[in-house]
Amino acid sequence: MEATLLSLAHGFSVALQPDNLWYAFLGCLVGTLVGVLPGIGPLSGISILLPVTFGLNATQAVIMLAGIYYGSQYGGSTTSILMRIPGEAASVITCIDGNAMARRGRAGAALCIAAVGSFVAGTFGLLMLTVIAPPLATIALRFGPPEYTALLVLGLIFLAYMSSTSLVRTLLMACLGLVFGMIGIDNMTGHFRYSFDLAELGDGIGIVPVAVGLFGLGEILATPSKHVTGEVISPKFREMLPTRQEWREAIWPIGRGSLLGFLIGIIPGSAHIISSFLSYALEKRISKHPEKFGKGAVAGVAGPESANNGASTGAFVPMLSLGIPTGPITAVLIGALMIHGVPAGPQLVSDHRDLFWGFVASMYVGNVMLLALNLPMVGLFVSVLRIPYAYLYPLIIMFCIVGVYEVNHSIVDVWIMLIMGLIGYALRKFSFDPAPLVLGLVIAPIFEQSLRQSLIMSNGNYFIFFDRPIALGLMLVCAILLGLSALSFVLKRKDWRDRLAKVEAGEG
Amino acid sequence: MDRRTFVIGTAASTAALAAGPAFAQEAFPSRAITVINAFPPGGVNDIVTRPFASALEAVFKQPCVVETKAGAGGQVGAQVGANAKPDGYTLLSHNNGISGYEEVDKLFGRQPKTTRGDFIPLARLVADPVLLLVNDQQPYKTAKELIDDAKKRPETIVYSSGGLYGATHLPVVLFEKATGIPKMRHLPTNGGGPAITALLGNNAQVSTQTVSATLQHVKAGKLRPLASFGGTRSKSLPDVPTLKELGYDVEYYLWVGIFAPKGTPANIVSTLSGAIEKAAASDAFKAAIANAGLEPGFLNAAGFAKFWADDAKRSDEAVKLIGRVG
Repeated sequence: MEATLLSLAHGFSVALQPDNLWYAFLGCLVGTLVGVLPGIGPLSGISILLPVTFGLNATQAVIMLAGIYYGSQYGGSTTSILMRIPGEAASVITCIDGNAMARRGRAGAALCIAAVGSFVAGTFGLLMLTVIAPPLATIALRFGPPEYTALLVLGLIFLAYMSSTSLVRTLLMACLGLVFGMIGIDNMTGHFRYSFDLAELGDGIGIVPVAVGLFGLGEILATPSKHVTGEVISPKFREMLPTRQEWREAIWPIGRGSLLGFLIGIIPGSAHIISSFLSYALEKRISKHPEKFGKGAVAGVAGPESANNGASTGAFVPMLSLGIPTGPITAVLIGALMIHGVPAGPQLVSDHRDLFWGFVASMYVGNVMLLALNLPMVGLFVSVLRIPYAYLYPLIIMFCIVGVYEVNHSIVDVWIMLIMGLIGYALRKFSFDPAPLVLGLVIAPIFEQSLRQSLIMSNGNYFIFFDRPIALGLMLVCAILLGLSALSFVLKRKDWRDRLAKVEAGEG
Repeated sequence: MDRRTFVIGTAASTAALAAGPAFAQEAFPSRAITVINAFPPGGVNDIVTRPFASALEAVFKQPCVVETKAGAGGQVGAQVGANAKPDGYTLLSHNNGISGYEEVDKLFGRQPKTTRGDFIPLARLVADPVLLLVNDQQPYKTAKELIDDAKKRPETIVYSSGGLYGATHLPVVLFEKATGIPKMRHLPTNGGGPAITALLGNNAQVSTQTVSATLQHVKAGKLRPLASFGGTRSKSLPDVPTLKELGYDVEYYLWVGIFAPKGTPANIVSTLSGAIEKAAASDAFKAAIANAGLEPGFLNAAGFAKFWADDAKRSDEAVKLIGRVG
């Protein structure tokens, strides 16, 4: 512990050098912008700026590029809250309650809570990273296909809590998402599925175009058909800060989101998106007022926004201590290190002490910077809503198209987004909630792949999900959740019979 | 300004604009060159292509822009590269994958979207030999021990790859054939990184991965290289024997090459290959490759064309050996 503190102090002496501070600030600033602009996610931001870092040393490069990554998780919530357009994939779920809060005139409060939640989760994740990274990293390795399958079974169960609409509508949307998730090359056999001879559909339908289309475009298309009053969601400045009541509602979800996000972030895979969904479902499941979700529940913003930041910090654990990328973004960061002659691997901490601790310390500094950067901007962002829709919405559509194109340089993605916009419009008109569809789309390909991988490993034996400890634990949680739901269903029926009996008795 | 001067002025500037490109055609290149990278950021292709583009920029004194067109295991980028205007201003950076699409498409009775004839090979930039690796929980110390055990237990030992018919799947199949062992069980993942993670986590026992991608794990003792698929021993791992030394005729590299679309004029092709050779010989590019732990293995247009023909034969053979899986 003492050694850790000494190393960290050394790290701060590296991170607080003026040029390193400057690159951390630059990264955080770009990250915030990348997060705010819909579509353009951290991956494209980092890969565009990668060549810029060729002239820097490795420490400066990784400080700046990582700043873009965690900075984007701060900014991602902004457009979700203000305009119901996810700034990046991990902020999809914030659209629901964040935007509902904005409609009640609490946009400023939602933005503040998202920023503070991100800060708490980021700093908490860093503390964990500093103290217990090496033992945690070995857990990441033990998280193989069977464990992933079990986690996604849990995700599927949570789907039912995803939405404020009726269960049938939720499941319908979820199934649609799972079906969309089947599109693309079957990794196990090489067959193209539903790709209509387009190589671009080979990797399936991207989450970003679907999320931006369903939420953002759908929302914009639906706006002209309803009575719009401009002043509804632009509050006065002093009403911008969260009330004491709102803070109280936010504290525990932030804490739970931070922990959950960090743990899920360690797992290799596109876990930071799943972490925000799981956090939302968790908050709704344990909330005393689940009916408030979808109508502007503070916990529905605080939990997921903390979780996605916790996850982005958690993702550094296997990257820094084992040299294993948890996803495309950490893969690019490892690539950036390699270009600078620093091989990311188990020896990174011992061979490149300055870089490792300087980097960790710079993230503490970066999180403070981001908070300082984001809180004052709340007023600025909220005043964006004062722009008349006639000018604002065409601009947003432009940003959506540019952003979605930028992800893969693919015009097919733009078409997907436009078609999803029309679908999103129809769903809005018929009161369907698109969130379960997006979650279904996230889960389907990973679930299918890890299920089939597990069965390859076990030669077709389903027992593999029950003889590995982590998988077994997750499966038990699933069983308990299903059991509880079944129990409450039975109890409700009984309750209904009792009441009927009473009524009948009363009449009789 | 009266109307007449306006008209004359406009006509003159239009003429000047029209004359511009005509004049420029004499000296290639007169504007920015785009290098299509068919693989996502973070992979070997990206790590090689970006410093390559900046080195080429220095040779041509024209901007060289890397445009990532990833998807479908590199097929999206290959298609974009094949359909680009053959004027030398769009190049394609691709790897082994480009050899296999035709054969895989034939296997499934699909009309091949790109064939090898769609591309003119300009240069091979790197050739990273593939290693036969096991994780530290396996008992095998030599390739022979693995081969003997695999013979005893067909379809039991699991190997991970970055994808079906991919550059880390084919060498295993060639290895199986050369050593005469029965098939091992294949665990496809979605990329080189996840395949290595599967091996490290003992979800797979064997994998064939490049030196650069695994050197750190080898040094840390987490992964054990049993043999190399290279023609000669790797400089980074001089103690690891090649399969050829062990008496098995297999050779396989993960290479990155630069291609131009079919129909590019011969004079532009020769200008390009000269410039690429200079760029690849530059200190900046060599340093970037060395930093990434990659083995250079530069081949010029003629050398690469010959190598590619041989390599494609190996690739076709391996795809046929795998056949249709389901």
